[in-house]
Amino acid sequence: MIDSALIPEGVKRCPFWQFLLALAVTGAVLLWGVYALLLCWFKGLNITGMNDYYGFALWIWADLAVIALGGGAFFTGLLKYVIGKDELKNIINYAVLIGFICYSSALLILAIDIGQPARNWFIFWHANVHSMLTEVAFCLSCYFGVLCVEYIPLILENRQIDKVPFFHNLSHNFHEIMAVFAATGAFLSFFHQGSLGGVAGVLFGRPFGFREHILIWPFTFFLFTWSAAACGPCFTILITKLTEKISGKQLVKPNVIHLLAKIAGWMLTTYIIAKIADTIYWAFFTLPDQGFNVMHFYSNNAFYGPWILFTELIICGVIPAFILITRPLRERPALLVTAVLLASIGVCLNRWVMVLQVMAPPVMTFDSWVLYVPTWPEVATTILPVAYGVILVLISFRYLPIFPQEKELNPIDSGA
Amino acid sequence: MKIDRRCFLSLGMGLSAGAVLTPLPWKLADDSSIWSQNWEWTPVPKDDVASYEKTACSLCPGGCGLLVRKVGNRAVKVEGMPRHPVNNGGVCTLGLSSLQLLYGPTRIKTPLKRIGNRGDGKWEKISWRAAIEAVAKKLGDHRKKGESHMVAAIMGSDRGTVPQLMARLLTAYGSPNFFRMPSAQDAYESTLYLMHGVQAMAGFDVDNTDYVLSFGSGLIEGWGAPVHMLQANSRWKATGTKVVQVEPRLSNTAAKSDEWVAIIPGTEAALALGLAHVILKENKQCDFVSNAAFGFDDWVDENGQQKKGFKQIVMASYSPEKVATITGIAAEKIVRLAKEFAGAKRPLAVAGRGSGNTPVGFQEMMAVHALNALVGSINRPGGIWTVPEPDYVKWPAPEMDQIAAKGIQQGRLDGAGSSNAPYARFLLNRLSQADTKNKYSLKALLVSGANPLYSLPDTKAVQKAFDGIPFIASFSSYFDETTQYADIILPNHVFLERLEDVPAPRGFHKPMIGLSQPVVSSKYDTRHIGDALIAIARKIGGTVSSAFPWNNYETCLRTTLADKWPMMVKNGFWWNQSYLPSNNGAGFHTPSGKFEFSETVFSTYQPVALEGDESAYPLVLVPYDHMRLSSGYVGSPPFMMKTVSDKIVKGNDGFVEINPETAKKLKLADGQSAVLTTPKGSVNVRVNVFDGIRPGLLAMSRGLGHTAYDDYLAGKGVNVHSLMGPVEDPLSGLDAAWGIRAKLTKA
Amino acid sequence: MKNEHHGAKKYGMVIDLDKCTGCGACMVACMSENNVPFKKDETDKLRSITWMRVYKLTNGKAFPDTEICYLPRPCMHCAGQHEGHSPCVSVCPATATDYSSETGIVSQIYTRCFGCRYCMAACPYHARYFNWWDPVWPKGMEEYLSPNVSPRMRGIVEKCSFCYHRYQLAMDKAYVSGRRELKEHEYQTACTQACPADAITFGDLNNPHHKVHKLVNPDNAHHGRPQNSNAFRLLEKLGTNPKVYYLSSREWVRKSGDNYQAEDRKSAGHH
Ligand SMILES: Nc1nc2c(c(=O)[nH]1)N[C@H]1C(S)=C(S)[C@@H](COP(=O)(O)OP(=O)(O)OC[C@H]3O[C@@H](n4cnc5c(=O)[nH]c(N)nc54)[C@H](O)[C@@H]3O)O[C@H]1N2
Ligand SMILES: Nc1nc2c(c(=O)[nH]1)N[C@H]1C(S)=C(S)[C@@H](COP(=O)(O)OP(=O)(O)OC[C@H]3O[C@@H](n4cnc5c(=O)[nH]c(N)nc54)[C@H](O)[C@@H]3O)O[C@H]1N2
Ligand code: SF4
Ligand code: SF4
Ligand code: SF4
Ligand code: SF4
Ligand code: SF4
Repeated sequence: MIDSALIPEGVKRCPFWQFLLALAVTGAVLLWGVYALLLCWFKGLNITGMNDYYGFALWIWADLAVIALGGGAFFTGLLKYVIGKDELKNIINYAVLIGFICYSSALLILAIDIGQPARNWFIFWHANVHSMLTEVAFCLSCYFGVLCVEYIPLILENRQIDKVPFFHNLSHNFHEIMAVFAATGAFLSFFHQGSLGGVAGVLFGRPFGFREHILIWPFTFFLFTWSAAACGPCFTILITKLTEKISGKQLVKPNVIHLLAKIAGWMLTTYIIAKIADTIYWAFFTLPDQGFNVMHFYSNNAFYGPWILFTELIICGVIPAFILITRPLRERPALLVTAVLLASIGVCLNRWVMVLQVMAPPVMTFDSWVLYVPTWPEVATTILPVAYGVILVLISFRYLPIFPQEKELNPIDSGA
Repeated sequence: MKIDRRCFLSLGMGLSAGAVLTPLPWKLADDSSIWSQNWEWTPVPKDDVASYEKTACSLCPGGCGLLVRKVGNRAVKVEGMPRHPVNNGGVCTLGLSSLQLLYGPTRIKTPLKRIGNRGDGKWEKISWRAAIEAVAKKLGDHRKKGESHMVAAIMGSDRGTVPQLMARLLTAYGSPNFFRMPSAQDAYESTLYLMHGVQAMAGFDVDNTDYVLSFGSGLIEGWGAPVHMLQANSRWKATGTKVVQVEPRLSNTAAKSDEWVAIIPGTEAALALGLAHVILKENKQCDFVSNAAFGFDDWVDENGQQKKGFKQIVMASYSPEKVATITGIAAEKIVRLAKEFAGAKRPLAVAGRGSGNTPVGFQEMMAVHALNALVGSINRPGGIWTVPEPDYVKWPAPEMDQIAAKGIQQGRLDGAGSSNAPYARFLLNRLSQADTKNKYSLKALLVSGANPLYSLPDTKAVQKAFDGIPFIASFSSYFDETTQYADIILPNHVFLERLEDVPAPRGFHKPMIGLSQPVVSSKYDTRHIGDALIAIARKIGGTVSSAFPWNNYETCLRTTLADKWPMMVKNGFWWNQSYLPSNNGAGFHTPSGKFEFSETVFSTYQPVALEGDESAYPLVLVPYDHMRLSSGYVGSPPFMMKTVSDKIVKGNDGFVEINPETAKKLKLADGQSAVLTTPKGSVNVRVNVFDGIRPGLLAMSRGLGHTAYDDYLAGKGVNVHSLMGPVEDPLSGLDAAWGIRAKLTKA
Repeated sequence: MKNEHHGAKKYGMVIDLDKCTGCGACMVACMSENNVPFKKDETDKLRSITWMRVYKLTNGKAFPDTEICYLPRPCMHCAGQHEGHSPCVSVCPATATDYSSETGIVSQIYTRCFGCRYCMAACPYHARYFNWWDPVWPKGMEEYLSPNVSPRMRGIVEKCSFCYHRYQLAMDKAYVSGRRELKEHEYQTACTQACPADAITFGDLNNPHHKVHKLVNPDNAHHGRPQNSNAFRLLEKLGTNPKVYYLSSREWVRKSGDNYQAEDRKSAGHH
């Protein structure tokens, strides 16, 4: 193969033309997204489906969702480097890669979303420390820096790069300090996941999003961090399983997966209990004080009904949590995949509800529901990060030793 | 090369510090944000010395005083003039938006001559000299051919120096055909003419009344002097003046009234007479009818014929029970309303639907006026006043040469003032009946301050009538529908560039003249219509020319206003503050010298027969007026359009209001598309399901469906006038069609 | 001067809904005063910049018991539960909207706003508007633009400023004549001035001599809660602490100001 020199030693990769084809297909999708992005910048956000009542687009949901799903990076890092679950070293690289993709996408999305992209740095320069978004911006940017630091050593491990002594040593040094970065990352993530939750939770003018506070943080602050810690690893497992399926080989040993699944399961279980408690408190204490009945937010419109609450809490919460904490269940591959899939959907649904549904119900008695329908540029720019992520996975998987156990699990026949 | 930890860390820190210290990223970020704050396509208004200029608004008959804020020579804001007798600092949406007319894209910038077919919008720029010559030649030719009477003029008003110059031009030239656009004023004037024997305007002392009974008048929707009425309405709230609104639809006036009486439309005259019945039965009428009125009781005419008095007619035919079946209002309510009305100290009954541009039946108008007479609210504080026509235009009668005299003798095209319509002055509704009723056809038409091709009912027929007129000249400042259909355009200045008297605010109870003063110098190659008319007359020559002794319009205006001029320039207006009309002999110039109840008008109940067959058209369509849309000759500027609800126009779709019950019967849901058909035409609309409208009734806002003007207005909604048709009132000859039968079907 | 009121101002508005006729003059006065742009189609009300918007309320009853009330809605200049904790100000990450403790006015700095729209999400009154498009005036119409308020660029948020430039101009004038305090009439907003129904009253809620204070008698110990029984504020229960008060003699109108879905309806009205 033309690029064999770059491929890690002892592993087998698909033919180069297949790789190129896959790149081309996702590249086309990526270009479509980039075109939409440029349209948003040069024509303005009028080409979106947003309006003055509905200022948050599909991509903001995508932003929050990818950050939650990318939560596998910080939480797995925390488990491995800080808590010392060493087996997880076999999946941490992939977790970091997924995290890197998710967070770089998130930053890109924010750059599309703002009406004056050239002024994006005002958020740092004129920072309002009371704003959850300021907190998000600071922590997100810093944590992205951390992810870079965590991802760079992986790049440096590429066969050819590693041959350069400078990079070899650099990589070594990075590894040595990784625990510090992992701890920093976990700390930062705690805050930005939390402050993303705070974004809706502090909106005391929007009863659907608003939650009571603990100190300066609304409940959603904690719930977001918690759910990211629970569902991020689920997503890492899901993507690992998907990669195994597509590449046709096992990449990570089951015990590693099961360990992560078990931990995620317990996180999910505790999270969902807290979330249900939060919902009950909100429905029976917070809302009535503001003059609302909980059904106000689930009726009189064409889309949002109690089904969404049920799906989020029960189908995508209680059920996967139960599967993941029950050993016989989680060790059945089909159920495991179902559970991590449901958990991933659940956290996405939660982010949808906490971003997009917040905008929809009327608050003034003489206002009405506003449902938002995204336009194609929003869909394209929302898919853009997915395409970008796939490309990054394709390249990283091909050229970098992402899965330390791959060689051992898939010995190459000398005849091949 | 070996990198140890220390080296590694210092490298990292060095890189970070380096990046921060180089000016490049900061400079770039800063520059980009500065650039985004100074986009050259986002205008930066120039600053200059600020000042205020006084003027008077003539965009509607309201006559508000305005203060215009200027920066340098730019007008930047319109405000109401504080302490002005009409609007005391208030101002309406149209006045506020007038700068968008002044600086807007629909202005006509030079004189134009049509080069394509009529209405194609193909024009050629011509000079003012050429334009004046063209009009003068056309008129001169007709005069030579003895066709001077075949030239007509349509104006928005007949009062003040400019309409009088136009009327004078026609008279000296030899045509009796000066037209004023129709409105409820026509019916009011005819009523005052018949019952008071005077040629006067109706004024309403709304500030001193303590009970208002309105027969569908849009008291806060453009009726009378709009801003004056809005302010009166607030005073009524403060003083506890009760307002009763009789109307089949919950208009804004009905919504703000103290009591909404949702009558069966078209039966208002019966209600008024029913109320009269109760007042008379209860013997609550006041001395006015016995002292100063004629025809109240049975009488014998000069031929010895027994005539029925108003009292006998009303007592015989309008018992509350009977009226209840006609009007749909419970008999007890009729009795209560009558007692309240008669029991009030200074009650006032008013008529004229909506802003006063919807026709009213003569009987209805007179019945309402009779109610005022019964309680004595005629020419007294808090009542309806006769306000003399402005009398400051005292020019000597023009010298008439033979052609002129002969032309005038031909009589008016519409027969107004003649035996078949003795009480009417202008009957523009008869214009579209050219083939059938009119004695002769028009050869030329001059239009100013009016947009008949949009505003007159049955637009198609009006257009057909215009097709039969070989020469149409428009003096409009804007490309309105009529102007687009003209052959030549002599654009007037916009009022903010114009010096002009603005007399007689509609419905105002005291004689008053506002002064429109040029706030900014004229922007384009436009000319004051007064100057254009003088120039045309000069060009025609002979006695026509000598009828215009002034060198220019300004001289004409100054000499005409004479001793009022200094006060007008100083205050922006003149008024006769102490005016109070006489409510005894001196106020009445009828044959009896008293207030007269007309037997012919009241003898039988005659509701206006709406056009259309009930079986084919089971519903009734009525137009309504809306303060956020201009329904007069000026189209709504962009600011006004912005304020209009998306339940009135959405995209280009116009809406029709319908009661939920009616909508359900027609299986139409809110917002759904439908086809609205009247005997005059068929249009696509969407339905606005609204609880506040009477079942069976459809209502559509005026002021939409323009085909002319700019992209901010043209093509939006439906012109309700295109669906209406005139119905002549047999008593007055005036159009009385307050609605038309209609049907609505799913699209 | 005896009647002069010193100290922090709390500019606010009282709108008498019994008087308001829904005529829309306040909306146009505001657009004209503040260089608000417009487009060819403004019928999508979800994307139409109207710093002042007049809502139409109905009592929901069938013909002929239907009633209508118009409710003009500028920015409420919310103070929040502690002065300056407005829903929008507290969330803006770039301090592009600010609460003035001197006047109580919530400002908007157009050149600093970067268009994240978080403040819009925070405002329950929908008083904030995004510039989805570049503002474009038809050729020639830029001539009427006022130099006192800068036109806004695409991609940023704008809203009612209580005509702050009028405050500045009035202050400048006062300073020239050696005063530091404004008289009531010296600072009035464009909508107040234009309203033909005299429905809008504007002034310093902290000043007992000002009409606004007399009309609602705000209880400053309880976040400005009105003590006039006909007065109410929109969404009081959310704790936004608005500085725009409404007057209505009709109970259904007063009740439309807030949500009462979870409570005994008897306790509705103001509390
Ligand atoms: N909220 C808010 N805060 C601001 C600003 C803002 O825009 N908004 N602007 C900031 C800026 S740019 C500035 S410069 C500062 C200004 O802040 P300050 O310097 O506090 O300015 P002043 O309010 O003018 O107060 C100056 C004081 O000096 C007194 N004074 C006047 N003449 C003399 C003199 O000859 N001798 C002495 N000893 N005293 C004198 C005056 O009476 C007054 O009490 O405020 C800053 N703070
Ligand atoms: N009457 C009166 N006049 C004074 C003073 C006074 O106390 N009273 N003080 C004097 C003093 S000391 C000073 S320093 C000057 C201050 O005078 P100015 O600088 O004119 O006044 P400011 O109101 O502080 O700010 C100017 C404008 O900048 C905008 N702005 C805020 N942030 C940004 C940004 O990031 N970019 C851009 N482009 N614009 C931004 C604000 O919205 C505001 O409209 O005034 C002087 N004049
Ligand atoms: S009411 Fe009529 S006269 Fe007064 S400002 Fe409005 S358009 Fe002008
Ligand atoms: S201008 Fe006055 S009356 Fe008209 S809508 Fe506004 S507040 Fe109401
Ligand atoms: S009304 Fe909205 S924009 Fe105005 S201060 Fe309150 S939250 Fe902010
Ligand atoms: S849109 Fe502008 S004002 Fe609003 S929160 Fe974002 S930066 Fe602040
Ligand atoms: S106070 Fe000024 S900015 Fe606010 S709505 Fe009124 S006119 Fe507009």
